Parts: sequence; structure tokens; C-alpha cells
Amino acid sequence: MFGKMFSPEVLKPQIRELKLSIYLLNKNKLTRLSMITVILLIAFAILAPFIAPYPSHIYGIANPQDKLLPPSAKYIFGTDELGRDVFSRVLYGTRISLQTAILAVGLALLIGIPLGAIAGATGGYVDEIIMRITDIFLSFPPLLLAIAIAAFLGPNLQNAMLAIAISWWPWYTRLVRGQAVSIRERQFVKAAKAIGTPHFKIVFGHIVPNCIAPVIVQASMDLGGVILTAASLSFLGLGAQPPTPEWGLMVSTSRNYFLNAWWYSFFPGIAIFITVLAFNLLGDGLREIMDPKTRKY
Amino acid sequence: MRNLIISKKFVFLITVLLVISITLAGCGGQNNSNASGQKQSNVPVQIVFYAQNSTPITDFDPSVEFSNGVVTLNNIYETLLRYDPLEKKFTPVLATDYNKSEDGLTWTFHIRKGVKFHDGTDLNAEAVKFSIERTINLGKGASFIWEPVKEINVKDEYTVEFKLKYPAPMDLIASSAYAAFIMSPTAVKSNPEGWLTQGHEAGTGPYKLESFQMGQEVVLTKFDDYWGGWDGKHFDKAIIKKIPETATRRQMVEKGEVDITRDLPYEDVEALKNNQNLVVETGPSFENLLMLFNTDKKPLDNKLVRQALSYAFPYDDVVKYAMGGYATQARGAVPYGLWGHGENLFQYKYDLEKAKELLKQAGYPNGGFKLLLTYTAGDEAEKKTAELYKSELSKLNIELEIRAMPWESQWEMAKDKDPDKRQDIFAFYWWPDIASPYSYLYNMFHSQDDILFNLAYWENVEFDNLVDEGSRQSGIDMTKAEELFIKAQEILTEEAPAIFVYDKQYIKIFNKSLKGYKDNPAYPNVVFFYETYREK
Amino acid sequence: MKTFIAKRLLLGILVLFGVILITFTLTRVIPSDPAAQWVGPRATAEQIKAARIELGLDKPLYIQFGKYLQNLLRGNLGYSLKSHQPVLNELKTYIPATMELVLLSTIGAIFIGLPLGVMSAKRKDEWVDHICRFFSVGAVSLPTFWIGIFLQLVFYRWLGILPMGDQLSMNIKLMYNIPKITGFLTLDSLITGNFIVFKDALTHLILPGITIALYPIGLVARMTRSALLEILNEDYIRAARSYGLPERMVLWSYALKNSLGPTVTVVTLSIGYTLVNTFLVESIFSWPGIGNYVATAVISLDYPAIMGVTIFSACAYVILNLIADIIIALDPRVRI
Repeated sequence: MFGKMFSPEVLKPQIRELKLSIYLLNKNKLTRLSMITVILLIAFAILAPFIAPYPSHIYGIANPQDKLLPPSAKYIFGTDELGRDVFSRVLYGTRISLQTAILAVGLALLIGIPLGAIAGATGGYVDEIIMRITDIFLSFPPLLLAIAIAAFLGPNLQNAMLAIAISWWPWYTRLVRGQAVSIRERQFVKAAKAIGTPHFKIVFGHIVPNCIAPVIVQASMDLGGVILTAASLSFLGLGAQPPTPEWGLMVSTSRNYFLNAWWYSFFPGIAIFITVLAFNLLGDGLREIMDPKTRKY
Repeated sequence: MRNLIISKKFVFLITVLLVISITLAGCGGQNNSNASGQKQSNVPVQIVFYAQNSTPITDFDPSVEFSNGVVTLNNIYETLLRYDPLEKKFTPVLATDYNKSEDGLTWTFHIRKGVKFHDGTDLNAEAVKFSIERTINLGKGASFIWEPVKEINVKDEYTVEFKLKYPAPMDLIASSAYAAFIMSPTAVKSNPEGWLTQGHEAGTGPYKLESFQMGQEVVLTKFDDYWGGWDGKHFDKAIIKKIPETATRRQMVEKGEVDITRDLPYEDVEALKNNQNLVVETGPSFENLLMLFNTDKKPLDNKLVRQALSYAFPYDDVVKYAMGGYATQARGAVPYGLWGHGENLFQYKYDLEKAKELLKQAGYPNGGFKLLLTYTAGDEAEKKTAELYKSELSKLNIELEIRAMPWESQWEMAKDKDPDKRQDIFAFYWWPDIASPYSYLYNMFHSQDDILFNLAYWENVEFDNLVDEGSRQSGIDMTKAEELFIKAQEILTEEAPAIFVYDKQYIKIFNKSLKGYKDNPAYPNVVFFYETYREK
Repeated sequence: MKTFIAKRLLLGILVLFGVILITFTLTRVIPSDPAAQWVGPRATAEQIKAARIELGLDKPLYIQFGKYLQNLLRGNLGYSLKSHQPVLNELKTYIPATMELVLLSTIGAIFIGLPLGVMSAKRKDEWVDHICRFFSVGAVSLPTFWIGIFLQLVFYRWLGILPMGDQLSMNIKLMYNIPKITGFLTLDSLITGNFIVFKDALTHLILPGITIALYPIGLVARMTRSALLEILNEDYIRAARSYGLPERMVLWSYALKNSLGPTVTVVTLSIGYTLVNTFLVESIFSWPGIGNYVATAVISLDYPAIMGVTIFSACAYVILNLIADIIIALDPRVRI
């Protein structure tokens, strides 16, 4: 069933679309820059343990005699309160942030897509109930919900991830439902229905694969916001636990030291900024070329 | 549509006008401030400003408060005596003197004459009896300190007698920082229940409560009829304020906006030592940090493992880097400076080889187990200690998971019925309710029916007997009691149900112009404002 | 129109009920004993037992929830486990300071963010657009808590030109008694003509104000830009242009007017976001608002306080959404 959906026949226009998108993305300087940054960040995330100058510092091996040293040739971003290399830790933080964000968004998609597809494809009371619940979740700022959930679940990175996913899924449900409603009326779905395909199979075999593309695009645009939310939770003490080199946690800890050691706050903070900025700019660029109204050739 | 546009323009216009008027007003304000009717005469002569990390008060009821609020209450209320643990001397406050019977079962206190409560009531023996009985009957907070009291008798207008169930150091108890305050019976009786908690007071202290913002700040103002008088140089007002950000506190004390502060990171303390306008004062506090082991659970039920873990602890690094040197490695459970501290007790030293050997004996030649350590979220010193320890244990192939938790949550976890669900190591501070070794040894290590603070879940009959006997003796013969308490600690260090990490030093940073301040570790973090004054 | 508002209102109430239900359930499944918290860190077992009965924690869950709802309708949010004060009273003390920040940042969003967005859309793909875009996307990408730390470092510590910590300097706070008229310190001092207090309050407001305003400014600029761009491609705009109408008129009265809907939505949205951002910023500046309050409550698991703030924020959010919906609905082109 899935194979048919992704057959070359069906995919041809999509591939053409993809090529065009990449071309357009490359045209805008700001977008291109952000794309390069994102690729670099991903590379850092993968390679961090191998390229970090002090890999043992990442996992919390203390080196206290070198505490709070300013940036130098030995420690290019300086050291923290236990003498660990801030550069190594910030570098590894890339992996943690991207991992957290991707997992959180992935989890949100896992909840959001099926619910949206079921709501859109089924209609009636099921649709009404699912969408009202979605409305409730959409009715307050995601960070607030995440804070409340993380506070009650107990502070650690997994719970923070879960909290973000719980506050994020409704956005995808709404998006997928809209898609599903229109796909429901398409010929191939009607045909499948006519030959007696079970509803379950229609939803997950026909509707979901066909509305997944815009959702993935939307999700990748959300990554910036999710990274910022995760960092904020850690900053409040609701996310990663020491000695995890999470950026938000590092900024939070550095609050006690920044008067003597500005570098300790500065570098993790700027890392968050650059990462979120790159994802947001890329997201903006994506949005523009995806939307035919604002698309410029 | 048009209406919308018009109203939008209108809003814009109003806002612009507002902004302009604000700016103009702001500029003009500077010049004619005196003319605009500000009451300069209301300006208090002298204000002292104490900024700290914790809330100035949690409950205004002096019978109930058993937390940071003693910082405020000790300026509003007074106790019968005040104890100086370093000099081991009592100062008379509301009692002028006292004596005890030979068997330590009857204690008589003579009450100071001519003392007025803030509501105008006179202090007498009846008021003392009322206050202490109220505290006992409410049964909240630290009321348990009065546990030995059988009855309180008013002998005459200014004499009160305590009859005890068993010998106990009544002078120590009566000078406790918690639950030993004397309050006006008139005020308490004539107001509904809960009146005090809602932010009222009925003390005899030098300062009255002027205003407060719960959890944030308390403003105190002088009580004109204070028995000590106001002839000397005293402050008219005192502010106690919670400023959680250490950076803000440091900067405010540097700029002279705050007179006195504490709990700054040690890096800041080092930097402030060089500041000519500030004084950094340190001394023993009675607060110590322990790592309580879960002795109910494998592998910590094995004495050898506990000893190994005690040897693996980087004491010197923790003292030096987590505490910036403002601590000493603990020797036993009773802190340095307090009676009952054992000068010659055995002390573990950082020795990984020895730890390895002990682990081998215990049947864990290559480590290979995992431990969970919890500490109080937001405590920087505990966090650093835990991280340093983790770093060492990883060398023994022991994985230490560190978890920051709200205090209540980790306590809840520690009290779980199932030992396997509890944390393996609990980073735990103790400070005295009464300045006695009993407070440390009984609460943390004496066997008990319910889990409360005996969070090592350790039981040892010989130890129990020594502590019980020590407590009995402290009402009769202090030297004897001290011996027994030290002997009990010998068992403790051998059995190692906990790592005795460090005895903390208090550090106060204050403006050079602030004089008369003297720290008293029996009253944690309290600044007795009446004793302080300003001198340029 | 009326049914529309009624429908929205109903949804709002449903949302609030959902929020209360979710937070209440969460508070009861967490591994923490509220009774133990109520009596404080050194309680005896008997004291905790007594507190459990006092707080009604010995009753079944649904009865506790019913009781909570009942109290809520009477405006009783319960008591803070830490301070033992009614949560409602505490919220009342802390809300004005937060609202002052929120108000300031909303003004910033409207008077700085909106024009930026318009300018950016007008000169799409020119350098002005690039700068505006970079600024606006940058502003929403900045970790607010971090920029707060650095503003403080630069303006308070290094340059020493701006004060921080609380809303007023301590000596001024003790010297003058400002009556509470609006609850906003700056306004109250202005109304009473106390310019010393006003100036002090205003200077204390600058650093946290900037920190908190950056996000809504960026958000509004970004959204206005994309909303305008969409409309500028519509046929009627092209028509207006081809008639030779002045560009300024096309932009401000045709295009902007028609992007009112999304703009209003984003402004109200940004108010909601700002409210939550205060949670991260206030503690850095020791600002006595609900953000500071909840940051402490979260660490100490003071769940009535956390619930109080959550319910308050959700209420504010629901009301803001309602207002946005009504404003948009007033637009005659929207047919419901």
C-alpha cells in the first residue's frame, strides 16, 4: 500500500518541486546562509565527541584547578566553575539541543498526525471531539503548558521533551486535519472506499502518506522554537540535569558566575541564538517558497 | 471600517501625547521635587538593609515558624535567654537569671521587670507560661523542643518554674532560635485564631513589624518603649529582603545599596575581599553537609562499600572548589565549634587505592554499580560537590546519577516505604534547633519507628543507648554528656552510614560603615539589628 | 455576531475547565506530599498527618476536585504551601508589576514592530528588508533570559547608568508612599505627581522592559511582513497600483487595512507570549511580578501557586483571543 503511494509515477512532480525549492532556497542570501549554518550545526552535533578538544569534560569529568579561566589558546571559550572546557561543552550541546528538539517534534508528530488524520477522515462527532480538545491545547502559550507539565513531571531532559511534545502536537493535528478533509474527497480515496477497504486502512494507508509532506516542512520550521523552549525549560531548572552540557542549563548555572566570567554565559547563549536564528531564517525561507502567493521566480 | 481607522489614529495620538507628557514631567520633576509637597521630615534617620537568598519569613506565628523566618522573628520577639555557643555562655534577655535543682528536673527563671510588649501589655511570669504552653499545645514547628516539660508553674509575678519529665538542658531549650519566643497574651487572646499568621505580631523585641510583602520583604521599625532603651546609636528601620539572584545581591552590596548580605558564590567572595568598602567576615556555623547512604539497599547495606565510598570522596577538592575554602572537612556528625565535637575522631581521607581495596573485599572488585544522588535544586555548593564526587566515582567504574529536586520531593522519595525506590545518596544539611549534639545524632542516626530525618535508615542499639544516655546527662552533667556523644560518634564513623562532608563556615559581607555586628551560629543567619549601628 | 461571541465564550470556558482539570490531575500524580510541604522542612509525622486532614487530602480525588472548583468559583485559589497566604492575594500583589512590563512591550510591539514589518514588506528583498528581517527574526530567536543577563552586565555593571533589582530603589520606596490607583507604579506616581518616584520607577523599568519587549517586536514585525506580502500580491492591490494611486496610499490604507485580521491576532498572541516570557526574565531582574513568583513556585513545587498562575495566564489568554476574534469579526468583510 505504501509502496504504491511512493511509486515513481506519483513522486515525479514532487521531485521536480523539491529541485525547484532547493534552487529557490539558494537564491536568497539570508536563506542560503542559514542553510549552511544548519548543515554545519548538524555536522557539529554528529562530530562533537570527536572534534571536542576535551571530550572527557563533556561527560562531567571535573578539572577544578582550572576553574573559570578566561578564553585562551588552551581553552578558546574559557572554562566553567569546575574547570571544564566551555568550548567542548558548547559543541556537544549542539547534539543535545538538536536531539531534544527532533525527538520532541517527532513525538508531537506521532500524536498529532494520526489524530488529525482520523478527525479529518472520519468527520462527525469524532472530528468535533478531537478538534475541541485540540482547541483547548492551542488556547494557551506552549511554553506555559510545557512549564506546568515539566514542573509536575519532575525535572529531567526526557520529561522536558515530553512536556514540549504535549504542548506542540495540536498544531500538527490541526494542519493534518485540514489536509485530510481535502484528500478525503479525492478520487483514489473514494475508490478505495468503494471496494470496501477498511476505514483504518484508508486513514493510515491513503490519507496519512498524502498529507505528510507539508507537516514535515512545518515541523522543520518549528525546530528553532522548540530548541528555544527546551533551553528555557532547562534555564528554569525543569530540563537537563548537571553535568549535562545543555545550553540553557549552562546559562542558568552561569548566572552565579557571570560577573567574574562573562564567557561562561556568553558562549552557550550565543550558541542558542545562532542555532535558533538559523532554523527560523530557514523556516521563513521555506515558507516563502512553499506559498505560491509570495513565491518569486 | 472608517471608525476603526479613526479610533486607531486617536489611540496613536493619545499615546504620543502621553509619552510626551511623561517625558516632560520626568524632566521637570527633578528641579521642583521639594516644592511638590514631599514630606522630607518623614525620612528616617538610619536604615539598615539586609539582603538574602531566602524568604524573610514563612509564618508570622512565633509558635509555628520553623524556617528562615527566625531572621525576622528574633528582632521582633525575644526569648528568656540567648546562648553564645562559641563562648558557651548564656546572656539574660527576658529572664534576668535562673537556677536548676540538683537532679536537673526543676528549673526556675526570674523574669525581667519593666518590659512591655508592643501592644502595651506588661511582661510577667503568666505571659511566659502562656507563650510556652501555647507553643506546646499548637504542636507545630519546633514545639518538640519542649518535650521534656511536664508542667509550668507561676511562682509569683516574676518567677516561673519548669518541672521536667526527665533531665534536660532547659537553658539551651529556652534560648532556642525557634519556638521559644514570648508573646503578649492580651494580643493573642483578644484576636481570632490565625491572627498572627496573617501578619501581626505581639513581641517585646526592639523592632516592630511595619510592613511586609510575603515571601519578598519585611520592613521593621523601632519600638519606642523597648526595655533596652534607644540611647545608643541604633537603626530606626531595618529591611530584610529576598533577592535570589546572587549577581544582583553582589552588585547591590558593592554599590552600597545593601548593607549586609550572605550566600554569595565563593568566587564573588574572593573578589569582594579586595573591595575597600566592604568587610567579609567568616566563622564557624553549625551547619554541616552529609551524604546519607541508603543502608537498606544493596550494595550500601555493606559496611565495606560505605567505607570505600567514604574513601573515594574528594574532601579537599570539595572544600576548596565547591566551598571556596570556606568550610572544613567534617569530623563526625557534630560540627566544629559546638560542644560534643570530637577533636580526635577518625576522619576519612581521599584515597582511591584504599577504596578499591575495600570494594574488592566487599565483592565489587571492578565497581560496576550505579548510584543515584539527589540534592536540593538551586543549591550551587551541593551541585558542585555532587559533580566532583561523580567525577571521582567514575574512576572506580561506579556510575553516579545526579538529580536536582525540590527539597520536599527528595524527602518524599527518601521516605518511600520501598527501599529500592529511594535515592542511594541524599545530600543533606543539618543545623541545630537547639545547640546540642543530640539534635544531630538523634535526628539523623538514632533508630526510629517512622522515617523522618533518619534518612540513612541505619540502626545500631549501642549507638542508640549512648545517645539516649547523653541526652539525659546533658540536663545534669555536660562533661559526661559530651563524652557519651563523642563515643557514639566513634561508632558512627566506623559504620559510615553517611559521608561527613564538611562543616560550613558562615560568610557575611557587609558595608564597612556597619558596626556592632556579631554572628551567632546558634541563631542561623540572624542579624540582631539592635546591636548594629552605622559609623562612617 | 451574537451567536459567534457566545460560541467563542463557551469555548473559552471549556478551555479553562480543561486547563484546570489537567493541572489539577498533574498536581495529584506528582511524587510530592503537599501536606509535608505545608508544615515545612522539619515536621514530625503527626504534624504531617494533621496537615493532610487540614488540607482535605484524605478525601477521594473527585471530591477534592469538586472542592477546588467550588472554591475557585468563589475566587479562592487555595493557599500557597510556602507562604501560607491565599494564592489570590499573592497574585494580586504580583500581577501589576508584570502587567507593567507586558503593557510596555505591547506598546513596543505596536509602535516599533508594526512599522518595521510594513517597511520590510514594502521594500522586499532590498537591503532595508534584509536588515528588518534579520532584526525581527533575531529578536524572536534571542534567548530572553540570556539577553537579560547581558543588558544587566553592560548597563548596570560596566556603564553604571541604569539601576536594577525591584521596581524602585529601597530608600525611595521607604520615603514615599504611593497610593495604589491603577496598580501600575509608573502611572500612579505620575497621577499623584510624585516625579521622584516616577523617574526612579521609569529607570528601573528600562532594562527588563527592553529584554521583554524584543520578542513581541520581532514577532509582530515578522508577522506583519508576511501578512502584507500576501496581500500585496492580491489582484485588487495590483489594480490600485495600475490606477496610479500613490504607493503610500496603497500600502497604508489598502494593504494594511486588509491585513488587520492577522495583525490583531499576532498582537494579542504576542501579549500572551510576553506574559509567559516574564517567567524567564523577572527573576533575573528581581522584578516583583508573577513571573518571579512562579519561578520560585516551580522550584519548590508549590502547586497551588503554580496552578494559580497557570489559571491566571490561561484566563488572560482566553480573554485576549476573544478580543481578537471580536475585533476581526467587526470587520464587515468577515461574514459569519
